Amino acid sequence: MRNRFAIFTGTALLFSSLALAQGGRGGILAANPANANKPYDKHDLSGIWTRNGTPAGYGGGGTCRDCGDRGYSNDVPPMTPLGQKMFDANKPSYGRNLGSPDANAHPEEHIGRRRAVPPANGTDPYQYCNPEGVTRALIYPDPLEMNVLPDKIMQQFEWTYVLRTIWTDGRKLPEDADQLRWWGYSTGHWDGDTFVVDSNGFDERTWIDHFGYPHSTDMKLQERYKRTAYDVMELSMTVTDPKIYTRPWISQTKKFRKLDTKDGIKTADGWGGLMEDLCAPADEVEQFNKRVRDPAGGVIH
Amino acid sequence: MKLKISILFALGAAVLLAHHGTGVSYDASKAYSVKATVTEFRYANPHPQIFFDVKDDKGNVVHWSGEIAPNPAQLVQIGWGRKRSEAALTPGTEVTLTIAPSFAGTPVGLIQKIVNAAGEVVLGAVALPGPAPAPEKKE
Repeated sequence: MRNRFAIFTGTALLFSSLALAQGGRGGILAANPANANKPYDKHDLSGIWTRNGTPAGYGGGGTCRDCGDRGYSNDVPPMTPLGQKMFDANKPSYGRNLGSPDANAHPEEHIGRRRAVPPANGTDPYQYCNPEGVTRALIYPDPLEMNVLPDKIMQQFEWTYVLRTIWTDGRKLPEDADQLRWWGYSTGHWDGDTFVVDSNGFDERTWIDHFGYPHSTDMKLQERYKRTAYDVMELSMTVTDPKIYTRPWISQTKKFRKLDTKDGIKTADGWGGLMEDLCAPADEVEQFNKRVRDPAGGVIH
Repeated sequence: MKLKISILFALGAAVLLAHHGTGVSYDASKAYSVKATVTEFRYANPHPQIFFDVKDDKGNVVHWSGEIAPNPAQLVQIGWGRKRSEAALTPGTEVTLTIAPSFAGTPVGLIQKIVNAAGEVVLGAVALPGPAPAPEKKE
């Protein structure tokens, strides 16, 4: 136990300094060398997975060293006039501060990553605790649990403690869904060793990622999951949304680390499993916004 | 005990960006430490908040608000559950706070460290706003 703590502490400290230097690209690797020879089933995606850079998936910050960053992709396709209009209307609070020397020093980054404003002046939907949506939730570093059932896979995300359903019972996606959904409609199937998820029917108020890239209700999303080691799952996504982007937009490949389902995440008094990490209740969130968030951005109520 | 404090520090420092994206509001380059008196502590989502009084250069009391980046779900993993946290930060408690002040110049800050009168770190070294993500490598 003492050794475990020592390794944990050292790794976390290392991560801290690396993450500070690399902006969330520090920390441990997705694959634990101790698991290198462990057998695994390529078609078993069940369990708790995290992109976070600390051993227990402790979140809110950076991803693990080779898990990819917190954005969808820096290689942004040219936008349509409507896409550009929606992009300009979104005011994110992540990335380099708008107009800062830091932002100006990184012209190689798409402007979406260099336009952060204080939340008091922003438009991020999750400032109001609205749902993150699929792509953003998958990119978030905190853990998610894949619960594999005979007819569906339920993804539960620790941050917001929300469930998303991926149907594997052979049904087809709705062609023109009457009721658009924050989490869309999703079906999944195996293509060799890759689990392919197709989704549509999205409410367009979610963002692709926390940098404020928009999508329309016409967005089609394909996710491709591949278990590449005992403790590593890779994900590549493709957004096809011709109303907004002039070509399909492929994500950076993201990696997830496997955590032990019972012991990978635990409260200090020993309760294992996903934490209940909620943006609730609404009145407490509103109080935080009025007494801290907004004054921090110069907005006094 | 030393080990436990190390873990708290490590985890706290690892929290680079708050869930709510508020890190962008604070200037970590101007962080400083100050003695303060706790007036209120709220162990709540989306982030715990601490309200406190600080005397300025002229002896006037200034009322401050502070944000703590790790949220309850994170704090409970490192041993700072609601009961322990609230007991450590009852109104009237004298503390030394390390604060990254708001860019806006308002008496609001991101609390990076809380030390009680006994010199113990409370809630760990709780937050540092991090730099923006580095550009991705082409794949």
